[in-house]
Amino acid sequence: MRDLARGLWLTLVIAASANADPTGTARQSSYALMSPENRAMQDDPSQNPATFWVLDGESLWQTPSGKRQVACAKCHGDDASSMKGVAASFPKFVGSKLLNLSNQVNVCRQTHQEGEPYAHESKPLLALTSYIGQQSKGLPITVEKSAANAVALEAGRTLFYERLGQLNLSCAQCHAERSGQKLGGNPIPQGHPTAYPLYRLEWQSVGSLQRRLRNCMTGVRAEPFALGSKELVELELFLMWRARGMLMETPGVRP
Amino acid sequence: MSKTSRTLVTMPKVATKGEVISIRVIVQHDMESGFRHTQQGERIPRDIIREFVCTYNGQEVLRAELHPSVGANPVINFFTVATETGSLEFKWVGDNGYASSVTSQLTVS
Repeated sequence: MRDLARGLWLTLVIAASANADPTGTARQSSYALMSPENRAMQDDPSQNPATFWVLDGESLWQTPSGKRQVACAKCHGDDASSMKGVAASFPKFVGSKLLNLSNQVNVCRQTHQEGEPYAHESKPLLALTSYIGQQSKGLPITVEKSAANAVALEAGRTLFYERLGQLNLSCAQCHAERSGQKLGGNPIPQGHPTAYPLYRLEWQSVGSLQRRLRNCMTGVRAEPFALGSKELVELELFLMWRARGMLMETPGVRP
Repeated sequence: MSKTSRTLVTMPKVATKGEVISIRVIVQHDMESGFRHTQQGERIPRDIIREFVCTYNGQEVLRAELHPSVGANPVINFFTVATETGSLEFKWVGDNGYASSVTSQLTVS
C-alpha cells in the first residue's frame, strides 16, 4: 500500500512538471524569447551579420564553377526569388535519398557542375544555403508527412524522444515537455528550426541546424552524430515537420 | 597579398546643418585572436583588424584601435555633426595586408 502511494505521488510530480509538446498556435519560435536588441539585429539586414553570408551566397550563385563551368543561376535563374519556398520544403526525399538543403546543394554541385562537394559547415556551403534560405523568409514550412518520408520521419521522432548521453536526457524532455521553463536562468525554447542557417552570437558565425543539434548532444554528454549522418537528417526532418506551417526566418540571429 | 571583405554602412543620406547623425558600420572579418589552438595543438596565428578610421571630407572624425578581444564581424556605432555636403570615407586596416574602404555621400541642407 505504501509503495502504491509512493508510486502515485511520483506520477503526480512527473505529471505536474512535464507538459505535452505544444502544437498548432501554441508553438513559438525562439525569436520571441530574444532581447529587443537581438530581434532588431535579425530584422534589419544592415545590422544582421548573416547578411554577409547571404551576399557571399549571391555571388557564388552567379559564379560559374566546377568542371563544366556553369553557375547555379544558369539552371535556376539569377533573380533573387527563383528559389522561393525551396528551403521551407527540405529535408525531403529526392529519389531514394533523404536530403537536407546542404546535401541538395552538394548533389547539384557534383552532378550538374561536376565540382568537388563543399565540406560540412564550410563557408561557401553556409553562404549558399543562407542565400537560398533567405528567399523563403516569411513563408510557412511545407514539410508534410508522406508515403516517401514516413519511415524516416518516425526514425526522427524516435530520436527526439530517445534519452541519450551521460545525463540521460531526450530532446523532448527539455524542448517539448519543459519548454518555457528555465534552465540555468535561460528560457528553454521549443526548438523549432525556423531560422537556419542562422548567425549565433556565441559562434560568431553562421551555422547550420546540424551544428546546433550537435551542440545539444554535447550538452547532454552524448557522443554527437557526425555532420551529414543519416540520424541528423532524420532528426532535421522530424523537427521541420513538427514546425510545419510556422514561418521561416532565415537568416536568423540567436544569442 | 592584400585581403578585403564586405562592409555594411548605415547612415542618413541627407541632414540639416548642425544635425547630429548616427553612423553604424559592420565589417566582415573572422577576428582570429591568436590565442586559439587547433585540435593538433598548433597555435592559430592572429588575424585581426587593427584600426578603423572615418574621415569626413578629408578630416578625421573617428579613429579606433581594435584588439584581439573584439569579436568577429565588428560593429562600430558613432555620431558626428553634419557640417557640409560631402563624402565620408570609412577605412579598415588589419593583419596580413587586410584593407577595405567604403565611401558614403551626405547632403547637408
